[in-house]
Amino acid sequence: MRIVVAYTRRMLKILRSEVLVLPSRVAVLVFVIAILALPLVTQDYYILRIMILTSIFAILAASWDLLSGFTGQMNFGHALFFGVSAYVTALLNLNLGFPPYFSIPLGAMGAVLTGLIVGIPCLRLKGSYLALTTLAFPIILMGIVFAIPGITGGELGLSGLTKLTGSRVNDYYVTSILMLVLGGIMWKITDSNTGIILHAIREDEVAARAAGINTTRYKLLAFCLSGFFAGIAGGLYAHFMRLAGPSTLEIGLSFQVIIWSVFGGMVSIYGPIAGVYILNPFMEVLRVILDNFPSLPEMRMFIFAALVLLTLRFMPEGLIPWLRDKVETECPRCKVRNVAFRRSCRICNAAMT
Amino acid sequence: MAQSFLEVKNLRKEFGGLTATNDVSFSMGRNEIIGLIGPNGAGKTTLLRLIAGILKPTSGSISFKGKNITGSKAWDIVNMGVASTFQNMRPFRRLPIVANVMVSCLSPRSMRGGEWVKKVEAKAMDALEFAGISDVALEKASTLSQGDLKRLEVARAVATDPELLILDEPFGGLSPAETDLMAKSVARLHRGGRFGRLHSEGPAMIIIEHKLQQLMKIVDRIIVLNFGTILADGAPDVVVNDPKVIEAYLGDGGTSCS
Repeated sequence: MRIVVAYTRRMLKILRSEVLVLPSRVAVLVFVIAILALPLVTQDYYILRIMILTSIFAILAASWDLLSGFTGQMNFGHALFFGVSAYVTALLNLNLGFPPYFSIPLGAMGAVLTGLIVGIPCLRLKGSYLALTTLAFPIILMGIVFAIPGITGGELGLSGLTKLTGSRVNDYYVTSILMLVLGGIMWKITDSNTGIILHAIREDEVAARAAGINTTRYKLLAFCLSGFFAGIAGGLYAHFMRLAGPSTLEIGLSFQVIIWSVFGGMVSIYGPIAGVYILNPFMEVLRVILDNFPSLPEMRMFIFAALVLLTLRFMPEGLIPWLRDKVETECPRCKVRNVAFRRSCRICNAAMT
Repeated sequence: MAQSFLEVKNLRKEFGGLTATNDVSFSMGRNEIIGLIGPNGAGKTTLLRLIAGILKPTSGSISFKGKNITGSKAWDIVNMGVASTFQNMRPFRRLPIVANVMVSCLSPRSMRGGEWVKKVEAKAMDALEFAGISDVALEKASTLSQGDLKRLEVARAVATDPELLILDEPFGGLSPAETDLMAKSVARLHRGGRFGRLHSEGPAMIIIEHKLQQLMKIVDRIIVLNFGTILADGAPDVVVNDPKVIEAYLGDGGTSCS
């Protein structure tokens, strides 16, 4: 009993001295609690469905950020990893009867292989050339999918996969907790020594080589890691929708990922996740509202585009970094973040200007 | 015959129609400091980039400690012990300065030591301390002045524990006081020893520099390049009084600057 009390005390202490001092940390805490508590508030089928898709896409957007934001390898065909994994998962599940907890990791492995296959020819490409090349890969794969309908189901795709879990609430918990865990892992990767090397490759590849870093290896690593996380998202999607169709390879999805990430704030894992959690439910809300006005059929995309454009005009770094800079300031001396209203730094006591 | 430390044979690099280095050959010993001088466009930077593996030579060979490193990958060459700095500094602008150096500390060569050395951040701080910019370690690299960027370049190169250090205009853009300080650091580095976690093997050096007065004080030997060929090679006071060199460097009617 005493040990429980002691640990609780320590937890509270950490909470007070480490978490509650910064608005961004409080926001993360509130976000995690809200995600976990949502089914207690509502078990509405439709809302949970939207939140499940949102969490799947959040994994996808964060994995794009790992490759394109941190490593600077502009990938305009991120749906490739998503689609490959969805198809691999579906094929394994339908033909070999693998259960979801087995087929999804294998699908992700398929996406890792794809990352290698795409990454090797892309190693020498930079900037817009890389973007155009990566854009082509999902289109090629879609052509292959349509060419062999006997295996891939053609335009209809593969349907009738095993359900992810038995119930909607369980589905929700599986995808949401996976999103939190994988997001945490991705954030940890970018925060590690490897993350510094990825940053360095984005900033100046030649200089990174001159510092003795095997940039080829790290670029391939970024492709594989990104493919793995995107692959998990693709597998979850296939099992949740019980369908792996050509829509998972669409260019629209690739661009959607970029829009989410740029809107939320690139080079910051949490930015793309927040971007998805804001934009995706927002689109659904818009759909519900606009259904009452049948005379305005295409307003939804218009409002969406206007919102994204305005965000980028006034917050070029993305929404979340912009908000963060508003509520937190960096200590000029020790570079630790502080709440904006503090007069002195919470660590080194230097005056905040 | 003993293996020479660095051996450059008939090195040639052509950019389209322009021959940047034209069959350059020289060799250097383990403890030498070579000054590489020459007028603008003489091919000095090209020569260094060829040695560092950033450019691939059209023909010719480079061997380092008896191993042929012609056409090796830049990172392999760094991990064999040849570090170089850039003339136009290329920091990772959006990273903090200490993270800039941590990239070098994460190279396999720098990590080959024991646990003590594997604390990359501490080692990076020691490299910054050595270069004299540890006080701004947490600033973004984009906020640094020219002189501090030069120091950052040196810190980044030194952090890979080089045996051959190639410095491209380390004094360029520095004030006289800063130049003296940098020259002292370079001399200290050449003597070798430990600077905190940073272990200096007393690297041999090739230094490109236009500030001859400071250069004279630290180098053992000077190579003069002109139009991609070696014009003179020898002790500093001999070379700078060579009439051919004076003509190439200062034009007709110039005087010795030693």
